[in-house]
Amino acid sequence: MTAASKPPKPAKKKDLMSRIPAGFVRAVLRGHSSLGLAFAALIYLICLSGSLAVFAHEFQRWESAAGPHLATASPDAVQTAFAGAIAAGGPGVEHVYITLPSADFPRLLLHVDADTDREFLADASGKIVPGQEFAWTEFITRLHINLHLPVTWGIFLVGLIGVALLSSLISGILAHPRIFRDAFHLRLGGSKRLQEADLHNRLGVWALPFHIIISLTGAFLGLTTIIVGVLGMAMFNGDANKVYALFFPPPPVDDPRPAPVLDLRPMFAKLPRDGGRITYIFTEHPTERGGAALFNVKQPDRMAGTDSYAFRRDASLYNVQKAADNNLGEDLLGGMGQLHFGWFGGGIVKVVYFALGLALTYLAASGVNIWLARRRDKGRPAPRWERAWAATVWGQPAGMAAAAVTGLATISAAIAIGAWLAVNLLFLAAAIRLAAPSLSRIGRLATGALTLLAVAVHLSLRGGLAAADPMAWIVNLVLVAGGALLLIPRLGTRKSPSEAATAAA
Amino acid sequence: MQDTPALLPSLLIAVAAGAGAWLLRRSWQGKTQQSGLVAAGWLLIAAAIVFPAWLLGPARGPFIALAIVSTAALAVVAANYSIRQAKARAARESLAPEPSDRATTKGRETLRWLLAGPIGMIAAMGVGIAWAALVPGEQQTRLVVGGLLVPLIWGGCMAWTLADNRILRATAVLTGVAIISFTAAIVKGFA
Repeated sequence: MTAASKPPKPAKKKDLMSRIPAGFVRAVLRGHSSLGLAFAALIYLICLSGSLAVFAHEFQRWESAAGPHLATASPDAVQTAFAGAIAAGGPGVEHVYITLPSADFPRLLLHVDADTDREFLADASGKIVPGQEFAWTEFITRLHINLHLPVTWGIFLVGLIGVALLSSLISGILAHPRIFRDAFHLRLGGSKRLQEADLHNRLGVWALPFHIIISLTGAFLGLTTIIVGVLGMAMFNGDANKVYALFFPPPPVDDPRPAPVLDLRPMFAKLPRDGGRITYIFTEHPTERGGAALFNVKQPDRMAGTDSYAFRRDASLYNVQKAADNNLGEDLLGGMGQLHFGWFGGGIVKVVYFALGLALTYLAASGVNIWLARRRDKGRPAPRWERAWAATVWGQPAGMAAAAVTGLATISAAIAIGAWLAVNLLFLAAAIRLAAPSLSRIGRLATGALTLLAVAVHLSLRGGLAAADPMAWIVNLVLVAGGALLLIPRLGTRKSPSEAATAAA
Repeated sequence: MQDTPALLPSLLIAVAAGAGAWLLRRSWQGKTQQSGLVAAGWLLIAAAIVFPAWLLGPARGPFIALAIVSTAALAVVAANYSIRQAKARAARESLAPEPSDRATTKGRETLRWLLAGPIGMIAAMGVGIAWAALVPGEQQTRLVVGGLLVPLIWGGCMAWTLADNRILRATAVLTGVAIISFTAAIVKGFA
C-alpha cells in the first residue's frame, strides 16, 4: 500500500473551548488586558492584604502573646470584665462588643464603643488588662476592607475591585481556547512571557472556584451598602432600614435614663443548652434603662450556624433567630463573611486560603508581567512601566512588613499606616532611577529583613520567650522561615533574555 | 460544641482530588483522549467535593473541599513541570493569541469605560432589584440572590463592553435593560 492510498485520518474532534472563533478570543483578550492593566495595582494590593487577613485571629494572638490565654469564660468572669471595661472605657459608652474565647481565638476581648473606642482583654476571673495591642492586625484587615480610606468610599472601592476581578475571570476563561489542552502544562525557563503565561493560566484555571468565591463574596460585601441604598430608594420609599430589618433583630426600645451596668448573668442562664457555643455578645446602651444584649450562639458544622437571642435589660427574651430555621437567603448572607475569609474549616483551610490567595495575588502581578514581556518581545519595551510595576509589586510586601515592625513597636495603627505609605512612596521614588530587576532584588531583601525585624521586635516587646500562647511561637517561626527565604539569594536561577535586556535598559 | 476537625477529611479530599487530576492529566496528555480516564477523573473530583457534606457539614464540607481540590490539582500541575530551553524566537512565531488591535477614538473609549463602569452598574442593579421584586420565594432569599446577581452581571457587562467592537449595540442593550428592569421592579413593588 502506498502513502497515497492511505485513508485520510479522521479529523480530531475539537473541544468546546477550541471552537471559539479567533476574532472573538482576540477581542475578549483586549478587554481582559485593558481591565487588568487598569486595576492590577489595586487587585494586587487587596489580594495580598486579604491573603494575610485570613490569619487575623492568629495575628491578634501573636500581638497579644503576653495577654491572658483562656479556653472558656464563666458568666461571672464575663460580667466582671464587662463592668470593668465600661468603667475604664471613659464617658459616652454606646455599645460593648464581647468576643468570648474559642479554639481559634483563646481570649476574652471587649471592645468599648465610647467617645474614644478602646479594647480590653480579660483573664479567667474577669479582671481586665489593656488590650489595644492589635495595631498590625487592624492595619492589615482595614487595608483589605477599606484601603484605609473613609469607610463608605473605601468599602465601595473594594467592592468595585471585586467586580473587576470577577470580570477578569470571566474574560480570562473566554480568552483561553486551549483551557483543556493546556490544563497540565507548566513550562518553566525559556521565554519569560510564556513561562508567566503558563503560571498565570494554570493558577487561574485550577483555582477558579476559589477565585470566583472570593471575588463574588468580596464584591457583594463591598457593594451591600449601595445595593441596599438603591433598593430602599426604589422599593421602600427611601428607607433602607426596612431592608436590614428583614435580616436583623429589631433594636431595643430607646430609653436613655441612666441605669446600673446591664447584668448579663441571668441572660446566660436563659440560653438553651443545645450543643451551641456562645461566641459573641453585642450590648447596646449598657448603662441606660433601654439597655439590651444580643447573644450569638454558634452551632457546629454549619456555615451560617449562628443562633441569636436578644434580651431586654430585665433579661426577658424579645427576639430569637435559630439558624436551623434559616431560609436560603439568610443562610447565604450568614455564611458570606466566613466563606470570604476562610474562617470555617480550621487551620488547614486557612493555610489553603492563604496559598490560593497568594495565587490570586500572583495572577494580578503576572498579568502585567505578561503585558510588559509582550511589549518587549515586540520591540516596544516600556521600561518606565516595568520599573513602576516592580516598585508596586515589592513596595507592598515591604511596606506591610514595615507596618508590622512599627505596629508592634508603637501599638499605633496610624503609625503602621504611615510606615506602609512611606515605604511605598520610597519604592516609587526609587523607580525613577533604578531598573526593575534592582527594585525587585531590593524589595525582596527589604521584605525579608523587615519580616525578621518584626520577629525581633515581637520577641523583645510582646512576651518574648515567655509567651503563653503557642500561636506566638508558630507565627514567629513562620515569619523567620519566610524572611530567611526572601533573604537567601535564588540559587540556580539565571536571567532570562528579557530580564537581561531590562537590566541593561 | 466545636466544629468537626477538618484536617483528616482534608487529607482524604486531597488524595481523591489529586488522583482525579492525575487521571485527567494522563488522558489529556495522550495522543488520543481516553474517555474512561476522563470520566473516572471527574468522578473522583466530584466525589471529593460532595462526600465531605456528610463528614463536615452540608455546606461547610463542600466549601472546604472546593479549596482543597483546587490546591491538590495545582500540586499535580506543579509536580509535572518541565524546563524549557531559552531560544530566540520572533514575536510573530508565538502561538498564543494576541489582543485585538482595534482602531478607536477618545470618545469611543470614554463611552466604553462608562458602559463598563456606571452604566453597567446601573443595569446590573436593575436586574438584581427586578429579581428581588418579581421572582417568587422568601423575601430574604430574593434579596440576597438579587444582590449576588449585581456583581455577577456587572462583571459580565464589564467583560462584554470592553471586548465588543460594536459599542452602540452595548449602549442600547445596557440602557434598555436598566430602564426595563427598574420600571418592572418599581411597578411590581416588593412584597
